[in-house]
Amino acid sequence: MAGGLSLYAEGKSLLHRAHPLTKGALTLSAIAIAFIAPSIGWVLGIGVILLVLVTAAGVLRRLLAVAAAILLPITLLLLAVQGFANANNRTVAFALGPIVYYREGLAIAALAALRIACLVCATFLFSFTTRPADISEALMQRGLSTRMGYVVQSALQIIPQTLDMAGRIQDAQRARGLETEGSLPRRARAYLPLMLPLVLSSLVATQERAMALEVRGFGLPVKRVARFEFADSPLQRVLRWVLIGAVPAAIAARLAGWR
Amino acid sequence: MRFAYPGGVEVYPEPGLTLTLGSGVTALVGENGAGKTTLTKLLIGLLRPSAGSVTVAGLEVAKITVAAMARTVGYSFQNPDDQLFERTVQAEVSFGPRVLRRSAEGIERGVAWALRACGLEGKEDVHPHDLGLSERKWVAIASALAGEPAVVVLDEPTLGQDYPSRERLRSLVRELDDRGRSVLVVTHDMDFVGEACPTAVVLSHGRVRYSGPTSKAFADHSVIQEAGLEPPHVDSLARMLGLSECVSEADVLSAWRR
Amino acid sequence: MGPDRGGARGDRRPPRGVALSSTSLVFENVSYAYEEAAREAVSDLSLSIAVGEWVGVTGPTNAGKSTLCLLAMGLAPHFFGGRLKGRVVVLEKDSRELSVIQRSAEVGLLFQNPFTQISGARERVDDEVGFGPECHGVSRLEVAARVEEAMALVGISQLAARHPMDLSGGQLQRLALAGLLAMRPKLLLLDEPTSQLDPAGTAAIFDVLAGLHASGITIVMVEHRLETLCELCPRVVAMVAGRIIADGPPDDVFNREAVQLRVGSPVFTRLAREAGLSPPWPVRLRDATAVFGRRLA
Repeated sequence: MAGGLSLYAEGKSLLHRAHPLTKGALTLSAIAIAFIAPSIGWVLGIGVILLVLVTAAGVLRRLLAVAAAILLPITLLLLAVQGFANANNRTVAFALGPIVYYREGLAIAALAALRIACLVCATFLFSFTTRPADISEALMQRGLSTRMGYVVQSALQIIPQTLDMAGRIQDAQRARGLETEGSLPRRARAYLPLMLPLVLSSLVATQERAMALEVRGFGLPVKRVARFEFADSPLQRVLRWVLIGAVPAAIAARLAGWR
Repeated sequence: MRFAYPGGVEVYPEPGLTLTLGSGVTALVGENGAGKTTLTKLLIGLLRPSAGSVTVAGLEVAKITVAAMARTVGYSFQNPDDQLFERTVQAEVSFGPRVLRRSAEGIERGVAWALRACGLEGKEDVHPHDLGLSERKWVAIASALAGEPAVVVLDEPTLGQDYPSRERLRSLVRELDDRGRSVLVVTHDMDFVGEACPTAVVLSHGRVRYSGPTSKAFADHSVIQEAGLEPPHVDSLARMLGLSECVSEADVLSAWRR
Repeated sequence: MGPDRGGARGDRRPPRGVALSSTSLVFENVSYAYEEAAREAVSDLSLSIAVGEWVGVTGPTNAGKSTLCLLAMGLAPHFFGGRLKGRVVVLEKDSRELSVIQRSAEVGLLFQNPFTQISGARERVDDEVGFGPECHGVSRLEVAARVEEAMALVGISQLAARHPMDLSGGQLQRLALAGLLAMRPKLLLLDEPTSQLDPAGTAAIFDVLAGLHASGITIVMVEHRLETLCELCPRVVAMVAGRIIADGPPDDVFNREAVQLRVGSPVFTRLAREAGLSPPWPVRLRDATAVFGRRLA
């Protein structure tokens, strides 16, 4: 059986030790500003800052592995399509046989690709340096209800659990004669009889789990006891405000003519 | 044959497992983690060995798909909820023969027999999840039988069953034997093993510790203990009374009468 | 507290004048039917269990054994709806007045299926065990102490850092039990607690239960293996089709023909009957050895 979904990588860097909300603020702020900033130069700057942080956290190699898998196809697709078909295309850059690529389209594609790269970078930086349990704990310490906290915590286990269940149901169907191996259409067809039992089993499991939660007292109106403390500091608090505040500031700047 | 899970946990260490199971009813016993369920999954091809081969009824398992193996081997899972997915008992039990494209009479015959043997007559239109856990187990067993396979594998069929159910299981196993099927029962229930399974295989840490008649399996208590098992209750009683080896109630009674 | 031979149903109301605080679980003419069910799951059930008793409950499928546990826990009727008649009094409090979560501090229920009993919100076994006490607002230090104690009791201390989803069925059941014990319940309801365990694991759990029983916790245990039941439980309740047909020491209960016919009997009892020995027939290995041994001598 698989464990929960988690990308967390052990480490002791500054980023690992930072308060989860600080890291959250950093991620959201970086993504927002990357999409708000008007030109490649600015976006590149954000990307570089993120890469520096990634290296400092010791997860560069991991990031490159996943980022390559995700970004390479997206970037190539963007360049291929926009470079060729964008409405603003005027200046020819080069030609690949009969297909002509224009500078304007390529520039737009590059900007979009860089923005997405910043998104991926920021998200993975957060995931690699933050334990899932810490995220929900930090939110609950700030006032998130225990019920919502449970939703966040169990969300990470839902997917592997459901995949697990799907695997077991399909094993059972195979053991009774349902063909799942072979040609692609056959394999695709094998997913259809999986749907109903998967939904039904999930519903039954959910009911049983709800009963088990009640038996353990989940939902009692008690004052929540913090499970562990996070190292926080005035500096981090200020930093969080600055990071969040940078977003409306950037929007205002764009509206005021930032190019 | 050798097998290791992807995580590197080797279930059957060097030099691997070699086992030949004959016809009739065989019990596969061993503590949790000894490799029993792994063995049964290898038998039907849900798992493939990393070395060696698995042959069932003359068919080499690695060469055919799991679904094709289902024609020959009926498998009942330990947790019935892993196995049940139709909306009525009737649909569930007839799924196997329908998918295997048996003739209409063949399906009807197989399903009717399976339902009767499993005590499910009258429950054809019930939703399996409306039944209790032990009845769902019977639905799972019936589903494995309806296709009338030559080999039947029952993974822990006695779990959570009351006394009448265990009796029904005994007659079922006997009936399968009478019909010439090979039956493999994976179980912890040593009393059931003694009563219903003439042959026993004891597995411990991925190795076969004993393979042969059940009547002799409990002769050496150290083997049983090392495998984390306990002898049947009748065996304990027989020992305390100084009677010779007994594995079933009938044994004790005949020894007693002498 | 001695058994009151009040007929087949074993009417167990404590005599007038005895303080109710000596009872752990009382059913007074309880009938219950699930929502949309045609027949009642239990009918006119009357049962009184004193603090510190270890009661085994057995019977064929659909006898109402699990429903008994659900009624005691309050899941019936609070979670399932349904129609409840009569009174269920748990640790002196009427069932209708308390919700399940309010009761959870003192009563624990272990279900048959271990896979759905874990919270699904914790990544480590020790955090999982601490889930219950945390829900009750227990202090951090206290939670840690209880977790350690509970894990040691059921024998899963070495699994503390593992992910619950990586455990086998047997390990999960022990984890679920540890999770309940961490709440220090006064009444434990166990629905076939060892069904997923192998003989070694089963023996370990029964040792734990014996220890808990010795410390005064009331245990109500549903179990199909009659030899085990007779060995461990000083009192057995036999149920068939929603009614109690026998209630008393195992030697009494399994010597009744109605019970033997409709519920079954331990192998020793059957052997003694078949061998032509005169009743009362033994229900335990020890007694069977003595009885058969005397005839051999």
